[in-house]
Amino acid sequence: MKVSIHPYALSAVGIAGALVIWQILSAANLAGNALPAATTVFATLASILGTGAFWSSLGATLGVALLALAVAAVAGVALGLLVGSFEPVRYATAAVLEFLKPVPPIVILPLAVLVLGPTAEMSFFLVVFGCLLPIVMQTVDGVQGADPVARDTARSYGMGEGEILARVVLPSAMPYIGTAMRVAAPAALVVTVVAGLLGGGPGLGQNIYQAQAAGDYASLYALVIVLGVLGLLFQAATRLAERRVLHWHESYREVVH
Amino acid sequence: MRNLAIRNLVIGTGIPVLLLVAWWFLSANSADPFFPPLETILLRFQELWLFDHFQSDVLLSLGNLFLGFAIAAVAGVALGFATALVPPVRWMIDPLIHFLRGIPPVALVPIFISLIGFGTQMRVTSIALAAFFPTMIATVDGIRSVSNDLMDVARVYRLSRKERVLNVLLPAAMPQIFSGLQVSLQVAFIVMIASEMLGSSQGIGAMTLLAQQSFMAADMWAGILLLGVIGFLVNILFGLLRGKVLSWYIGSRRLARAA
Repeated sequence: MKVSIHPYALSAVGIAGALVIWQILSAANLAGNALPAATTVFATLASILGTGAFWSSLGATLGVALLALAVAAVAGVALGLLVGSFEPVRYATAAVLEFLKPVPPIVILPLAVLVLGPTAEMSFFLVVFGCLLPIVMQTVDGVQGADPVARDTARSYGMGEGEILARVVLPSAMPYIGTAMRVAAPAALVVTVVAGLLGGGPGLGQNIYQAQAAGDYASLYALVIVLGVLGLLFQAATRLAERRVLHWHESYREVVH
Repeated sequence: MRNLAIRNLVIGTGIPVLLLVAWWFLSANSADPFFPPLETILLRFQELWLFDHFQSDVLLSLGNLFLGFAIAAVAGVALGFATALVPPVRWMIDPLIHFLRGIPPVALVPIFISLIGFGTQMRVTSIALAAFFPTMIATVDGIRSVSNDLMDVARVYRLSRKERVLNVLLPAAMPQIFSGLQVSLQVAFIVMIASEMLGSSQGIGAMTLLAQQSFMAADMWAGILLLGVIGFLVNILFGLLRGKVLSWYIGSRRLARAA
């Protein structure tokens, strides 16, 4: 019992230590007023949480991120099944996909802002662009990884192509899709924030930009803390969802001793 | 079978070429202010980047990228080792690390701007800090997943602590470290662009965003094209490096899969 308390106590010490160092650094006034005291930031955070503007920004950010993630997931899995199932399609798209894969959405942000303006649609477009490709590529890998024996078995049981796709190929691609979603969900949040910060799309990113431009450093730090918490929640939520959806798969099953 | 291979090769190279040709001709007489002719874009690409702004902007951006990434890589691996090998350190900084990792890396850029200003220093610091976390977390995971048997064998052979760390743990954790480095490189690239787009006037990202804000669509496209090519090439270079360093691992994986 003693051993299990130990790590948590040290974690608390670590967090407290970081806060104390932060407080001392800001009191030392090394960076002028650009580093507000921890106490000031948390007071600001509390007052921000009481404003309606904050909650509507948060809603806009979450709305864009989740909606775009859902669209990217549906479209990505559909495209992935298509590309993975037909060899000519796979070869036709390989070069384009390989080129676009390492290109982050921030690269086309100027284009999106130029065409769509600083709007929620612009953020939405960038998030879909950023999340779509990884989901497509993982789904293709998953389709490729489907056990050929299972396919042949299904075929010899007289299943049609559509039924094989739905009952053999898709389930066996699910863990791959799960991995892609675990990466894509936090990325969706990040891209939404980036679109607000650099492109002026509505939401928390825009608020951060305004706080920085106005020199309102306490709000800037408070908002970044909110984003950190939000990021943690997104990661935890996707992990939970993945475990629920994929509980039947061997890599997720609880080991029975 | 041979026919099939030839067909696939033709499709694989034909379609991208076809797409580029289609872009060229469909945009040829475009008067749309957002989508200028590809010819104009390539012309501006050559005028801007080869080699007018090459040294002042392209090399500057790339230098920041590599310096920031190198700092992040070294610090991430070193701190990852310290964290993984000294449990009290891990318990102390684990929650902090996970919280900081949850923050979108680009959101840290405004903080560094307010602390350090708009200069090169700010950009390298932002890149290094944002790229630090993926490598560090992957290093910790890599070391912790090294099998106990391997460590026992190392101990039986009476390897010193230094030998155990450098000759056993480091190679065994290398595949995971490289996965972390790859993510770090992606993050570094994103933060490089973001740090230039937020209020600086130099660098590829700044020039691309400025071109957009002044409605010079061809210049903006040229910037996007250059950034896309850099993202692609950097990834390829990293793949080559990984293939070299991890050749033993990739080879053993291939054998395992064939068996």
